[in-house]
Amino acid sequence: MTLSLVLQAIFAGVTNGIVYALVGMGLSAIFKGSRVINAMQGEFSVVGAMTTVLLLTKAGWPYPAAIAAGALAGALLGAGLELAFVRHMARKNASEDSFLLLTIGLALTLSAGTLFFVGRDGYLLPPFGEGVLIVLDAVIQFHALWLIAIGIGATLALRAFFHRTSVGLSMMAASIDADGAATTGINVARMRTYTFFLGGLLGALGGILVTPLVAVDYQLGLNLTLKGFAAAVLGGLTNPLGAAVGGLTLGLVESLAIIGISSSYKDVVAFTVLIVIMILMPNGILGRAGRRGG
Amino acid sequence: MTSSRPLSSYVTLGLALVVWAILPFVVPRHVADLLVFTGIYTIAGLGIGLLLGHCGIVNLAQATFYGIGAYASAYCTVMLHLPALTGFALGAALSMALAWLIGRPILRLTGYFLALGTLALSAIASALFFEWDWLTGGTLGIGGIPKLDLLGFALDRPSRYYFLVWIVAFACMAVAANLVDSRTGLMLRAMRDSSTAAAALSVDLQSLRTRVFVVCALFGSLAGSLFAHHASFVSTQSFTVDRSINFLLIPVIGGATSIPGIVVGALFITFLPEFLSKLGDFHQILFGLALVAVVVLVPDGLMGALGRLRKRRVAAGNGHGG
Repeated sequence: MTLSLVLQAIFAGVTNGIVYALVGMGLSAIFKGSRVINAMQGEFSVVGAMTTVLLLTKAGWPYPAAIAAGALAGALLGAGLELAFVRHMARKNASEDSFLLLTIGLALTLSAGTLFFVGRDGYLLPPFGEGVLIVLDAVIQFHALWLIAIGIGATLALRAFFHRTSVGLSMMAASIDADGAATTGINVARMRTYTFFLGGLLGALGGILVTPLVAVDYQLGLNLTLKGFAAAVLGGLTNPLGAAVGGLTLGLVESLAIIGISSSYKDVVAFTVLIVIMILMPNGILGRAGRRGG
Repeated sequence: MTSSRPLSSYVTLGLALVVWAILPFVVPRHVADLLVFTGIYTIAGLGIGLLLGHCGIVNLAQATFYGIGAYASAYCTVMLHLPALTGFALGAALSMALAWLIGRPILRLTGYFLALGTLALSAIASALFFEWDWLTGGTLGIGGIPKLDLLGFALDRPSRYYFLVWIVAFACMAVAANLVDSRTGLMLRAMRDSSTAAAALSVDLQSLRTRVFVVCALFGSLAGSLFAHHASFVSTQSFTVDRSINFLLIPVIGGATSIPGIVVGALFITFLPEFLSKLGDFHQILFGLALVAVVVLVPDGLMGALGRLRKRRVAAGNGHGG
């Protein structure tokens, strides 16, 4: 095992980890705001990335505009999910399971919709920066550096949003104590819509960032949902920033483990870690401390 | 099952049996084929229904046990040239042992965590089926699995295999009904409705939940073995996470607490896609939407909705009478 191989694995792990983190942060934000586990979180990524691909290649939009539109598409999908279904079902006091089944059903629908409208092919986006960086024989694509930088930026921005802006603080308040928040004049239902908007935005961002590295197709959603969920659980589930730590951990464990064993066992390792952590550390790797904040 | 059943319910049951026995001979071959799959899915769905309806557990790992049953049958008959029964037995033994081993730790989780824990389990199993191609044939699969015969009677056509599959399905239904009506079933429901109260009455939650999980795995494995002998060919595509999700839909759509509900759910997921497939690729979208509609509009499944409708009609009738 050479140093460059380890370095390469670490970089791959951080790159994947940031994507898992973005998906997981969205999942976790939605769970925190509504107690709904969103099994279609990965579909936000697929819709965001596909919209960007289609606007860029078919409609000829400039790249930044296509990216913005893709991110917005994911966010609107999230808000739409809340307005069309979650609000209605929450009013009827639907059980945890029905929300899970609802989002599974919608995930199947969206995945089938992608298959129907776009086909089986995978699509790639152009990288944000051409070329590679070589550190100690480890090859690092410039795009991966962009991805890491944007991912970290998004995490910090999310933190600032929740702690510094009045909308973010209201969202936190509504999720911690809905009745108390309502008393102080916060529109709890609207905050929940915002939460889903934010969840969709983060999911779409993750999808758009990863698409220059991994082709997006109709099947990508489920896998991203699972990985995002693993990231969120590792981080304690109710803390979006914990999900960032969880995502990085998952990405690193996955890519370092496959140095030892065949790379095809990547998913086996990731999901085994998920099960073991859920059983042994129900509050996530950050423990109870990680449940605070975010 | 109460003993004070009205005569009409026996008549209904008798009629249903007659229809059941004639059905495979009067429908076209491809419909008989779908009815065989309905039976197989009923068996797999029964276990999930027990977990969902009586323990409140969302099991998204059934494709794992379905796969173990199918591969055990395929491997025993094709590679080792053993009689078919050994495949069934090996699959069942492996599935139950695995369910017991994994069930003990994983069933300590609750709610969402447990649902996604089982989903992760299914993802692991599906990756392992793919990787262990020396055993499973990977994507190329294992072909040439022999058709079964029963007492010298070859079950080489869907209309004949139908009877074996459904007899197994009825046996599984009897096991499930017994479990539900037994003391165990009572404790299960107590546990589902208030696990704290049940624990205070010294109900051993873990071992009960594990026991039902093992029964569920057994049903999954039997369904898998039956599938292998029906399709004659098994490959990794049949045992993916998608399949686990599909299996979960059976009790969700039909109604998890009712055994006829499982049959309704199995009919739904075999016939609706077939019916919609005339519309081309668009059918998968409609299938997804149909599922969403069921979850939103009738959260207790189609049988649950039927029950409520009947109750309302009875109530309305009483209202008129009084």
